[in-house]
Amino acid sequence: MKKFSNAYIFLYITILVLIITTTLTIVYASLKPRRDLNKQAEQYQQILRAAGHDIDRSKAVEAFSNLAVPLTYDGRQYRVVCADGSKGIAMRLDGKGLWGPIWGYAVVSEDWQTLKGVCFDHKSETPGLGAKITEEQFLQSFVGKKLYDQDGNFVSVRVLKPGTASDIAEENRVDAISGATLTSKGVDEMMKTIDNR
Amino acid sequence: MIKEHLGPLSKDNPVLVQTLGVCSALAVTAQLKPAVVMALSVTVVCACSNFIISLLRNTIPPRIRIIVQLLIVSFFVILVDQVLQAVVYDISKLLSVFVGLIITNCIIMGRLEAFALSHKPLPSLVDGVMNGVGYGLVLVVVAFFRELLGSGTLWNHPVVPESWYAHGYLNNGLMILPPMALILVGTMIWVKNWKTERR
Repeated sequence: MKKFSNAYIFLYITILVLIITTTLTIVYASLKPRRDLNKQAEQYQQILRAAGHDIDRSKAVEAFSNLAVPLTYDGRQYRVVCADGSKGIAMRLDGKGLWGPIWGYAVVSEDWQTLKGVCFDHKSETPGLGAKITEEQFLQSFVGKKLYDQDGNFVSVRVLKPGTASDIAEENRVDAISGATLTSKGVDEMMKTIDNR
Repeated sequence: MIKEHLGPLSKDNPVLVQTLGVCSALAVTAQLKPAVVMALSVTVVCACSNFIISLLRNTIPPRIRIIVQLLIVSFFVILVDQVLQAVVYDISKLLSVFVGLIITNCIIMGRLEAFALSHKPLPSLVDGVMNGVGYGLVLVVVAFFRELLGSGTLWNHPVVPESWYAHGYLNNGLMILPPMALILVGTMIWVKNWKTERR
């Protein structure tokens, strides 16, 4: 076997690392605009989806600029035009799922009484179970629910197991996903963080 | 030349015979789409790093060869990850951490050690592709059954007719969870061994 001196080894690995890191930095920097655009478009798409619009990711940025105006500087609240033509407030929600973070957007009517729609996303919930929180069927069950109970107390929209006896009225609750108790609880907790005005 | 490289597809299959790369085979096979993208990613990484290591093989000091291999492999993995995030964002989200974990996929390091270090660049490239494809085949078969039986869809298109559900057919939720993938891979290994023995 060929003998390699220590100097050769050090030089070899140094040059190799330099080449690799330089190339990766260039690739990273040159792809960054596209990655950021993807993330931005996804976020806009989710906000619009919560407002009832079904818009392709590629058109989300353009549509968003026509339909929404930011209300806060941190990008957590927007005034949006909903699919039915009425106006609503979209707000960012953050919470915890079973395996990792979950987040989403809720759109409330301008009088802050009714939920116009929601959209959720997650980092690593189980496909087919917790991951169902992103599915249309679950999201649709939130549409038109009330944020306040009969007496005017803020209850938000609770996510509860179907059939559980509870004094929460039908208009303030949706059914949890069976088989995904903890993710549903996470959504429940997250919904409580809707600004109570 | 082609014939001697066909081993990974069947008699030397990295997953079924050498039981390498099983971790990701369980994790990304709940649906066909991520499985195919994962298979492509592994094939690209395996082929490219095999090629580069083979080119460098006479200059690599044996004492640090594992470090050099890891550097090359992680270089390609990060490259693939970046490209996926920029081009197919949805799928990169599905694969999440598993693209990064290709670095630790034993198939790749195994081929570098066992083949690329002692062979010319071109055969190494072919060897890398073939091992990636051999791995990918298993992934696709497992994902096919898991998506079909677990979600009633293929490539996100519903294939189980609505009328079946109306008659009480249910998707097997267990199929979506990793343990069922292990059982499927196990069954494939069983069939494989049975066929090899009969020959």
